[in-house]
Amino acid sequence: MAHQAHAYHMVDPSPWPLTGAVAALLLTSGTAIWMHFNSMSLMSLGMILLLLTIYQWWRDIIREGTFQGHHTPPVQKGLRYGMILFITSEVFFFLGFFWAFYHSSLAPTPELGGCWPPTGITTLDPFEVPLLNTAVLLASGVTVTWAHHSIMEGQRKQAIQSLTLTILLGFYFTFLQGMEYYEAPFTIADGVYGSTFFVATGFHGLHVIIGSSFLAVCLLRQVQFHFTSKHHFGFEAAAWYWHFVDVVWLFLYISIYWWGS
Amino acid sequence: MYYKFSGITQKLTGSAPTVAYNPQGLKPAIPAESPTMIFATPTKVVSEAGAAAEYMGTNKVPDLQRLFQTSDGVPVHLKRGYPDRLLYRTTMALTVGGVVYCLVALYIAAQPKKG
Repeated sequence: MAHQAHAYHMVDPSPWPLTGAVAALLLTSGTAIWMHFNSMSLMSLGMILLLLTIYQWWRDIIREGTFQGHHTPPVQKGLRYGMILFITSEVFFFLGFFWAFYHSSLAPTPELGGCWPPTGITTLDPFEVPLLNTAVLLASGVTVTWAHHSIMEGQRKQAIQSLTLTILLGFYFTFLQGMEYYEAPFTIADGVYGSTFFVATGFHGLHVIIGSSFLAVCLLRQVQFHFTSKHHFGFEAAAWYWHFVDVVWLFLYISIYWWGS
Repeated sequence: MYYKFSGITQKLTGSAPTVAYNPQGLKPAIPAESPTMIFATPTKVVSEAGAAAEYMGTNKVPDLQRLFQTSDGVPVHLKRGYPDRLLYRTTMALTVGGVVYCLVALYIAAQPKKG
């Protein structure tokens, strides 16, 4: 890379796009085989291949950026655009489920009793665990901002502590939601209420897990001195994603838990 | 006529003299060297006499930078040698095997009646 006359990153040939595509093939056809022939082998193989691809692809990006210096300012700008576009696509993904919820709840059909919540549904009290969950995620938004400022100021110990706290709050949210799911008086099969509730909050929970994992990788990298006070885009991307997850929860809480109860 | 390398079109385009004398990626008044990397400011402990901050391990990044920047033509996914090769071969084996398994499974699934 010392011999190029431009600031962009021409990547080395890599096998991971191919292995990732094959993983997608195995996951999708594996799911179909699981549903019709009661065999999880193909799907599991796809999952393993996906995890291997994820690990090695992102490991290589860390090598290229942190160890080889390929992430110059123009390259970093591209990465920023990329992350912003990805998060935007996720916003549209959730928009669909909110559309489904409002479609069903603003004009409840006679089959539901013409009311929302539908007849027979005992909703969760929005001022109990869901409110605690809201507080937990808002607090985690504060701690992740604290972590960012610590990194920018070169405060290693504080950065590690605040980032750890953020991840613990994320785990606490997941644990509380898990308990709520277990104790809920309704299931996904309970009409359109159950469907919209569990699909929307379920995908949100998955994103909390993904976000927590992203932050955990950042913690590992912070401990290993990968981030500098001026260059730590991996962490910023994780923080953006985490704020997005927080905002989606706020919309879920207001719409489904509170207005919908 | 002065020229610059356009980042958008990836071609040489006309430009003002000032831009031509400041090649892409280098701006005047910004040093070509990246700013001194601050990994951690030392914590103020009396017993530590100016030693580099050590909290949860030592900084191995400079060594890794040296390792990954060796000009040996090895692609980044194999640069660490044996562990990289092992993981790569395992992944590739699962990839090829998986495609074959998938095609067989889909062929069987496509058979009528007892599929």
